[in-house]
Amino acid sequence: MRRAARWISAGAAVGLLAACSTGEGVDLDGDEGTGGDATGEVLVAAIAGEPDQLDPHRTSSYFSFQVLENVFDTLVEPDENLEMQPALAESWEVSDDQLTWTFDLRDGVTWHDGSDFTADDVVYSYTRIIDEELANAWRFAAVTEVSAPDDDTVVIEVAQPSPNLLSSIGGFKGMAIVQQENVESGDIVTAPVGTGPFSVADYAAGEAIDLTANADWWGGAPEVGGVTFRFVPEPTTAVAELTAGDVHWTDNVPPQQVSDLEGNDDVVVGAAASNDYWYLAANQARPPFDDVRVRQALAYAIDREAIAQVTQYGNATVNQLAIPETSGWYTAYDTYSHDPARASELLEEAGVDGLEIDMMVTSEYPETVTAAQAIASQLAEIGVTVTPRELDFATWLDEQGQGNFDLLMLSWLGNIDPDDFYYAQHHSTGSFNFQGYANPEVDALLDEARTETDEAARKDLYAEAATQIADDASYVYLYNPDVVQAWVPELEGYEARGDGAIRFRDVSLAD
Amino acid sequence: MSASTSAWRLLLRSPVAVAGLGALGLLVVLALLGPVLVPYGANAVDVTRALQPPSGAHWFGTDDLGRDVLSRVVLAARASLQVSVVSVSIALVLGVALGLVAGYFRGWADAVAMRVVDVLFAFPVMLLAIAIVAVLGPGLTTAMIAIGIVYVPVFARVTRASVLGVREEPYVRAAVAIGAGPLRIIRTHVLPNVTAPIIVQTSLSLAFAILAEAALSFLGLGIQPPEPSWGRMLFDGKGFTGSWWMSVFPGLAIFVTVLAFNLVGDGLRDVLDPRQRSVLESRRDR
Repeated sequence: MRRAARWISAGAAVGLLAACSTGEGVDLDGDEGTGGDATGEVLVAAIAGEPDQLDPHRTSSYFSFQVLENVFDTLVEPDENLEMQPALAESWEVSDDQLTWTFDLRDGVTWHDGSDFTADDVVYSYTRIIDEELANAWRFAAVTEVSAPDDDTVVIEVAQPSPNLLSSIGGFKGMAIVQQENVESGDIVTAPVGTGPFSVADYAAGEAIDLTANADWWGGAPEVGGVTFRFVPEPTTAVAELTAGDVHWTDNVPPQQVSDLEGNDDVVVGAAASNDYWYLAANQARPPFDDVRVRQALAYAIDREAIAQVTQYGNATVNQLAIPETSGWYTAYDTYSHDPARASELLEEAGVDGLEIDMMVTSEYPETVTAAQAIASQLAEIGVTVTPRELDFATWLDEQGQGNFDLLMLSWLGNIDPDDFYYAQHHSTGSFNFQGYANPEVDALLDEARTETDEAARKDLYAEAATQIADDASYVYLYNPDVVQAWVPELEGYEARGDGAIRFRDVSLAD
Repeated sequence: MSASTSAWRLLLRSPVAVAGLGALGLLVVLALLGPVLVPYGANAVDVTRALQPPSGAHWFGTDDLGRDVLSRVVLAARASLQVSVVSVSIALVLGVALGLVAGYFRGWADAVAMRVVDVLFAFPVMLLAIAIVAVLGPGLTTAMIAIGIVYVPVFARVTRASVLGVREEPYVRAAVAIGAGPLRIIRTHVLPNVTAPIIVQTSLSLAFAILAEAALSFLGLGIQPPEPSWGRMLFDGKGFTGSWWMSVFPGLAIFVTVLAFNLVGDGLRDVLDPRQRSVLESRRDR
């Protein structure tokens, strides 16, 4: 999904928060006391912001998903290689015509409130997303019916072969199975009931969320007694608390401090190449960006290495396509070397002179502000003037929706299937195609790839589509950032994951 | 010798005020000639020389984008001065007009003007400025308007207080008696006799305006990047605690400028306040 969409409420006034932050009170002992009846020590994690709500189907905030990853389950879920593995569904099969998926559910799974989990819960959850047209309804675009022939079986019918169905229903906890009673009472917003390894014990608004280990979890009881997610918006504070041992884990690590932290014996730094990517998009509804040569000129004129350096301090891999080399869907592509001369030529061919670009950036993601200044100086070399316009994120999204921009920079995160990377963004009917790209060839390729069940053939189709998209500079791709997290050496069994999912189910705290 | 010349001379006898004046003079020169003086452009990004400590090539070091901090500090002086002068001018014109009307005419005009001023006073200055910027959208112009508006009440109050005293003076009453119009009286008799506190207030407000602009820019509501501004540079430096030069030099620039305005303001108060002044003059005569 889109980083934009996921992080919406992440604190529109980052600067304000930073300025007003008086340092969060550290109260480890107090937090540990809320572990309830669990036996193990409570892990304290510092996340960069507060969830907007805890309803997995309705939230779009990454902070919510960091917590909910540990509270809810999906039918299937990605392993560390982002391959789909059984979760609430123990096994599944696809009919010969590829139109019927039958999932056999795990037995003996219970909700946190003790009631039994059944196939009706799955039907309810998926129907809710589809019927209420929630943010992720598009993932069910091909689904015609979800039914429960018995308590242990769920059948999903699709209109056309959908090889990406598993990653659609299991890619992240936005597709979690929720409990009808919990939803209808409205409690899900602050006190969700899930089936996951931890249950929500307490939610202190503005401070922390306490989770208690679920001893009855189908995957086995977690070793830690619980997890406390504290909201620490200021990265320097989070790192200071980590090095002081006041928190056990944080992902709020300023990129410029990563190399310092790596030399610190009191901290373990985990980095994973991620499927996230940052891109530039020019508004093709506005001349001269409707001219492919102008967009290509931008792609040639920017220096991706330099941009990645100022925003990520080396914790990134430059890429001219969306999908990173670590993914099985990677396509090699390096047409756009940093070549200002070629860029100037293209602009000249297009008859564009003295181009002025209104580049929309947001304080929500300070890297966009930093990158815009680097991009401005790079484009100045070919006589293009870039004026960054810094907006709060809500306004930014509005402006994007209304097409009030020349150029913007943002990222997508957590995508797994190639369809997630290209369809919504570059199909002429794609819901996130704000740049207004339309190429019938690409549309046809993306439509075909969507239903192609032979994996090799499917990969070829995406390679072709992606190459065309980059040739047309629909997006100007920049880099895949690393997921960087840091934790104390006592925290064992934790791995940073490329999809940014934070899983504490298998970790333990050494004494 | 006219009153203003004598005040000027007295001011120049105070070493502290002279130091402030000197600093301000230097600042004005930098603001005017900055682009000619600086060794690098404000936005000369070069990632390969990012975060370099102060050296012969970069006296104040470089920032995270490899830009020369000295050049940016110098070039930011213009914007800071511009914001403070324009915003204080706005406050001066509106506030003094309001104060003159309220103080001279009294009655309902006074009541209305002072209630408006009270409402503005009820909000903390920065909160009000942020609210105004939030409505108008961030940027150099709106920062000037916002800071201008929040200092209107101070000027209105100072002016009104002085006018209340002056309007009862015999020369004003005499002017009324011979049939002079209110505008004429305000212009020729009232205004010239209330300038002293206004001048002092102006100098002090300039200092506050510099701070306010820095605060707004720090919060991302003032001057927009990549244009250099001291407040924004402080904000950018915040994430780089190891690179102290990114924060210290813009911070020093703000400190020196605000101090200079305050020193001059204090000096002006000493020479323009009649009671203080007699003390100074008696010293001179000795």
